[in-house]
Amino acid sequence: MATPVIMPKQGQSVESCIITKWHKSVGDKVNVGDVLFSYETDKASFEEEAKVEGTMLAMFFEEGDDVECLLNVCVIGEEGEDFAQFDPNGESSSAQEEQETPKEEAKTPTEQTAPLAQPAETSDFVKISPRARNLAQRSGADIRYAQPTGPNGRIIERDIEAVISAGKMVTPAAMQEYAGMGSVVEGTGIGGRVTTADLSKAQVPAQGASLQPALDVPEYEEVRLSNIRKIIAKSMHASLANSAQLTLNSSFDATEILGYRRKLKEKAESLGLPNITLNDIIIYVVSRALVRHREINSHFLGESMKLFNTAHIGVACDTPRGLMVPTLFGADKRSLADIAVQSKALTSACKDGSISPDLLTGGTFTITNLGTLGVETFTPVLNPPQSGILGVGGLVERTKDGVPYKAMGLSLTFDHRALDGADAARFLQDVVNSLENFSLTLAM
Amino acid sequence: MPKSLFIDPDEVRKSGFVKFKDIPVNQYSKSIEEEKENFATEDFIRIYRDMAIIREFESMLLDIKTKGEYNGIAYNNPGPAHLSIGQEASAVGQAYLLDKNDCIFGSHRSHGEILAKGLSCIEKLDDDTLYDVMKNYMGGRILGIVEDKQKSVKEIAIDFLIYGALSEIFARETGFNKGLGGSMHAFFTDFGIYPNNAIVGGSATIAMGGALYKKVNQKDGVVISNIGDGSLGCGPVWEALNMASMDQFTQLWEEGYKGGLPIIFNFFNNFYGMGGQTLGETMGYQVLARVGAGINPDQMHSERVDGNNPLAVIDAMRRKIEIIKQNKGPVLMDTIVYRVTGHSPSDASSYRTKEEIDKWIENDVLNEYSHKLIGAKVADEGKFEEIRERVRELITKTVKLAIDDNISPRMDITKAPDAIESLMFSNQKVEKMQEGTPNVLMPLEENPRVQQIARKVRFAFDEKGKPVSKNRVYQLRDGLFEAIIHRFYTDPTLVAYGEDNRDWGGAFAVYRGLTESLPYHRFFNSPISEAAIVGSAVGYAMSGGRALVELMYCDFIGRAGDEVFNQLSKWQSMSAGVLKMPVVLRVSIGSKYGAQHSQDWTSMIAHIPGLKCVFPVTPYDAKGLMNAALAGTDPVVFFESQRIYDVGEQFHEGGVPEGYYEIPIGEPDIKREGSDVTILTIGATLYRAVEAADILKEKYGLSAEVIDARSIVPFNYEKVIESVKKTGKIVIASDAVERGSHIRDLASNIAELAFDYLDAPPVCVGARNWITPAYELEADFFPQADWIIDAIHQKIMPLPNHVPKNNFTEVEQIRRQKFGV
Repeated sequence: MATPVIMPKQGQSVESCIITKWHKSVGDKVNVGDVLFSYETDKASFEEEAKVEGTMLAMFFEEGDDVECLLNVCVIGEEGEDFAQFDPNGESSSAQEEQETPKEEAKTPTEQTAPLAQPAETSDFVKISPRARNLAQRSGADIRYAQPTGPNGRIIERDIEAVISAGKMVTPAAMQEYAGMGSVVEGTGIGGRVTTADLSKAQVPAQGASLQPALDVPEYEEVRLSNIRKIIAKSMHASLANSAQLTLNSSFDATEILGYRRKLKEKAESLGLPNITLNDIIIYVVSRALVRHREINSHFLGESMKLFNTAHIGVACDTPRGLMVPTLFGADKRSLADIAVQSKALTSACKDGSISPDLLTGGTFTITNLGTLGVETFTPVLNPPQSGILGVGGLVERTKDGVPYKAMGLSLTFDHRALDGADAARFLQDVVNSLENFSLTLAM
Repeated sequence: MPKSLFIDPDEVRKSGFVKFKDIPVNQYSKSIEEEKENFATEDFIRIYRDMAIIREFESMLLDIKTKGEYNGIAYNNPGPAHLSIGQEASAVGQAYLLDKNDCIFGSHRSHGEILAKGLSCIEKLDDDTLYDVMKNYMGGRILGIVEDKQKSVKEIAIDFLIYGALSEIFARETGFNKGLGGSMHAFFTDFGIYPNNAIVGGSATIAMGGALYKKVNQKDGVVISNIGDGSLGCGPVWEALNMASMDQFTQLWEEGYKGGLPIIFNFFNNFYGMGGQTLGETMGYQVLARVGAGINPDQMHSERVDGNNPLAVIDAMRRKIEIIKQNKGPVLMDTIVYRVTGHSPSDASSYRTKEEIDKWIENDVLNEYSHKLIGAKVADEGKFEEIRERVRELITKTVKLAIDDNISPRMDITKAPDAIESLMFSNQKVEKMQEGTPNVLMPLEENPRVQQIARKVRFAFDEKGKPVSKNRVYQLRDGLFEAIIHRFYTDPTLVAYGEDNRDWGGAFAVYRGLTESLPYHRFFNSPISEAAIVGSAVGYAMSGGRALVELMYCDFIGRAGDEVFNQLSKWQSMSAGVLKMPVVLRVSIGSKYGAQHSQDWTSMIAHIPGLKCVFPVTPYDAKGLMNAALAGTDPVVFFESQRIYDVGEQFHEGGVPEGYYEIPIGEPDIKREGSDVTILTIGATLYRAVEAADILKEKYGLSAEVIDARSIVPFNYEKVIESVKKTGKIVIASDAVERGSHIRDLASNIAELAFDYLDAPPVCVGARNWITPAYELEADFFPQADWIIDAIHQKIMPLPNHVPKNNFTEVEQIRRQKFGV
């Protein structure tokens, strides 16, 4: 099977890269890990290694060419295989798909399944007041969703405010990328600023973490995206410019877990159990739900997705040095008591700065808890390439049929490129049910 | 109007005749022999020297204009040169008896007058005073250029005078007014030379104000208005003649101030107003001196004098100064002269014959005078030749200095960007323009109006928030009164006048109570002469006093157009800061009185550089801004609205303070805070904006921020921009007709300054581009609360379920502009 090799996108602001050297020629045998070509951006140089073995069938660019990111650069396969469909200069090139207008994307059926309003009809000239435009840029609102209510079809401030409250947002990518990393990155830029190169360095996976459990099942299964998933991914991506994250809010009746925790508190010492927090209970429940909903326990990689069979949960942690997200590896395999011990160890290691860098990467999903700070619901920001993050809010008083009870807010941000709203909603529902019926969950 | 004057029908209905006295025409006939008792030899010679200096000075300018060189020195002078070659005898004759306390005001053709007056002053001043004058002028800069230790102080002073005047004409920074006045505006007040004026007859009203200053403040000296025969075609000149001759000076003013104004209206009658021949073509008086007979019973002591003979002019001046000293002014002189050169160098003299010019050249004033002196053996021709030679050297040397860019640079606006900017306003605070005790008739606390105001409630609402009744509430007119009477009891030079000011108390009762406190000479009724009212205030202020004058209706600004637009506004900067202009011009915008009595012309005032312009509409603002205006040194056009003289203070917490306070000119005021839309108003439109804000809140849940401009020039945009940053939306409204109005200027600046914050273009709501209709139709003409809301709905942000009544659409806007309506 012929496999195209794309020009990787080295950071959100990188539009294209220059091929500096070809290490293979057409007809050469290629093994996994062979360097195919070297390339560079204005800031750094990189080497692209082969991920499949075979024969170099075609090379679409020459040394010195400035190649748009994500375009096919070469094709590896078996001799004689047809590679014409991968030629970016050919008719069905991905470059052209990239340039599809939002209007056309809006016509794709998958878009209609998304819980979003249709983008407003756009023409070449958008009438929008300077103030409205500024607000859109500042907030990340997607002006294509604005319904103009100003005179003569002008989009005015209130129209952007409506877009914002409908959640039609475009988040500045770099900011999101940085915020979602969950680890402190040493800046090497001017005045200690963090550059995209710093970000990409920090994303290199760590090896040999001591807490990483030995696993006898393969850690993940890489599946090729179906065409429909690719289209959805691309259109969602393009429609929200740089990302496709959105947040679902829900809440659950905390009566059962509060009761459970009260019981634990009374008996913990006599049973030799650690102090188990509500957050530990949530980690426990979520880790079990994640392996039932692999599409959200995943990394979205553009051309492919990693669906994890185990849940490595990032536990967002507020430290004096800022937000850190240590990873609780294999949470779905751990007992509640173990989760409590490990999460406590990770948190205190982060707080005193002794955390191993290896424990700050490798998460498949993140849980962040602002409940202790009095937040009820919020919009967590994805930790790429993870496809989901769950925000946990504080306890609030509610009544059901006149009976007061304590509820807790859950906010799930997910990457719409990786999964659809209904998938995410089902996962969230599963989490809610598991928490509301925690005793049953324990039995499973 | 005063009750002391009785219009007796028996008296005014009597039959009889108006009798005139003979008006002397060229009656001087003395010989040099006879004059030897009045003039020493050196006096006769000095008169010739002064005439020769003027002749050479102007011949030099003519050469430079027509040949591009003088005495071998090449120079190009693009500026004007209105020469008086042939008229020198009259200038020197007039100045001969005058000293620095006598003030002359001139015309566009006054080089000769300023040189003659300066030379006369130099002759009379002692060396120490003279040297001090030169040393102190512009930091001694001119003295530094002309000072020569070999020379006497008087010789240096002559060099100083010629150089200062010529550098001014050549627009050099070393000129008397840094080159900002130029040929038609050169002057030097330390020698009693006040501004010349490029507007024909412009000096008549201003000089009359100078004379008023001398009279009111009991200063020595006479004031002379030097204007031409052509200026008798100008209304303001007649206004000045009349106002200077008011009966009240002799009949109503108090002892010590009684008597006519110390002014000579001198007409240098050269028989042409540019090319229009005043004798036989454009005038009907035939002999200009006749005019004096129509003005007052003294016939203005009018006389025709032969200005071609310096001794005849000196003789006349001696007699006229005596009349002034006896408090019997004003005086009119018809001083006949002839300019042998054109109106300006571009004049081809197509309106007169060569024979006529040649005949006058034959009678050249310098030759005629020197021949007479030679005949009377005062001096021989060699003496006059020697004088002419020395004068030529003097002028040649001065030209070299004045055109040397190193010695006499022009203003460098690149190096000093604020060189002119810093002269547009003097921006000083001066409690009293001169030391002294103000002349008042009673202690302030005994003034009946002051006592009445003391009983009033100084805020519009009582503790329960209910409006205080009109009779009990402290009104806007009370705020103005408090500020004005405060300044009258502080500054002894302050005078106020205008139509119906005294007794009546002003048509809108602002001045009610002033009559009781102030003597006539500080507070009086003027004739219905708007040009003279404003022009005289200009002269009064540039002489050293402070004036508060009033035009009853804003619409009457037209009658004082030149005086407001060219005189009041310009003299501080054209004098390079030598003159101050502490004049407050009250202008009241009418209501209910139709097309010629209801116009807001703030925009016209704002357009003219050099005028400050305010329009307070609450009692607190009125008092604070009037205090600031009356304590300042700049001309302030103070707009008021007849809609709201009786309004109480509705905004300022605690009401109007009893004590003295100032509101800085130029600061708008947020009358009501809000967050959704800004409404900026000029004038009484504020109250309709507040009404609109109420409706916006009640019907549409919108919070409007209402800002009152208060000042138009200067204007600090900061508050407005901050507001627009907050709201993103602004309506600018005023009662002025929309086209070309200042609200358009505000809108344009706001659009530029806050573009990125705007949610819609700034929207202007002005009056329609029509005549003001009758009161009953005013709601269709002046902006109303619903206009503001309709404009917001149609141009900024459609309001839910709002049905507009007025058409603010773009189509309508284009249509109106297309048809000029």
